[in-house]
Amino acid sequence: MAGGLGALLGIGGGIVLVPLLVLGFDIPLEQAVPASLMCVVANSCAAAASYVENKLSDLRLGLTLELATVMGAIVGGLVAAFVAEAMVAVVFGLFTLFVSLQMLLLRAPLQEPVTTTDYVPVNYPLGISGSFVAGGLSALLGVGGGPLKVPLMSYGMRVPFKVASATSNLMVGVTGAASVAAYAWRGHLNLGLVAPLVVGVLAGASVGSRLMPKVPTAVLKKLFAAVLLLVAGQMLWKGGEGLWPSLWK
Amino acid sequence: MAESMEVNEVGPSMHGVHPTVTVTEAGPPVRNAQAQAVALPAPEAFPETFPETFPETFSDEPLTQPDAQPRARRWAARVGKGERWIARMLRTGAVMSGGMFVASLALELLPRDESVHVAIDLLRKGAASMLLVTPVARLAMAGTLLGLRGEWRYTAIAAGVLALLALAVGAGFQA
Repeated sequence: MAGGLGALLGIGGGIVLVPLLVLGFDIPLEQAVPASLMCVVANSCAAAASYVENKLSDLRLGLTLELATVMGAIVGGLVAAFVAEAMVAVVFGLFTLFVSLQMLLLRAPLQEPVTTTDYVPVNYPLGISGSFVAGGLSALLGVGGGPLKVPLMSYGMRVPFKVASATSNLMVGVTGAASVAAYAWRGHLNLGLVAPLVVGVLAGASVGSRLMPKVPTAVLKKLFAAVLLLVAGQMLWKGGEGLWPSLWK
Repeated sequence: MAESMEVNEVGPSMHGVHPTVTVTEAGPPVRNAQAQAVALPAPEAFPETFPETFPETFSDEPLTQPDAQPRARRWAARVGKGERWIARMLRTGAVMSGGMFVASLALELLPRDESVHVAIDLLRKGAASMLLVTPVARLAMAGTLLGLRGEWRYTAIAAGVLALLALAVGAGFQA
């Protein structure tokens, strides 16, 4: 399910896997996060192969935004010690809540291009700065950049939603691989846990990437909005956990 | 005849052929070609002989290979081929790594002894390494392919991303 959802929406699938592993299987968070990141990489490889072949992924846009994302991730890693994580989580949670509600409630905020090839990305400064923020959030909060980058490309840069999703899918693989490498370096990667998860995610991603071109964009947007609501809930919970004790004091 | 056009035998002015093109298949080069230059009437005087004049600008398509595909088509074919290579590489990485993980899971069904344990460990480490290398290799390949197409800006961006990733992983950051 995580693989299918990740491939359909370009968010990697970690947002589903981490709570499932921690709450459903009592796996410690420090093992669940790298295992989930490994699944994000697997999902990206399997789904992106199909999207690149079908010309749904924009390689040039992906490369450009990838640079900003990695830079943001490095800066995020550097400033992590000086930033209140709970506050960042609350701000990100509120932002994702706003985007998801906008996607769910507004009928058609922007005119979607007719075909997935008939578009020219606009507003590169917004896209690059947004990707920088997405990279920073990825390092600070451990969330993939997908939930931020897909709406950014789709609404901010006027890229068709399916292209935005496929391009995000392509990008999360690289940042995910770097993150897993960092965890593996510290010995937090449990391959016994990763093996069955990756097999399942690869199967799900294969199905999801075949389904995505056929699913109507409106349905994908609603699904994405629902997943964003889940992300918002997680972030607000995470932020609340960190903020409430200090408020009570 | 006031209005005339100079044409020589080496470069005859043929309809649809660039005037600078030399048709080598026509036979051995004509000796003393300049001496054989003749004056012909202007095309306006004989519209049935010269139905239309040459276009102002000529395509820079090579004319030495008449069966060659137009440049735009060749370009599109090359672009498509490059994308297919990237897709093939991603799929190979995913399938091989998935296959190794499946094999490691299948080995778990066998009675546990030292050799099985070592095989499982090796398969899983190999699969994980392959999975992690695949997107990075994709990035390098995309940069190289775009560079080969002359889009050096993207090659530089890909090189920058790779350098930053190496820096981030080396420094132990979670990029």
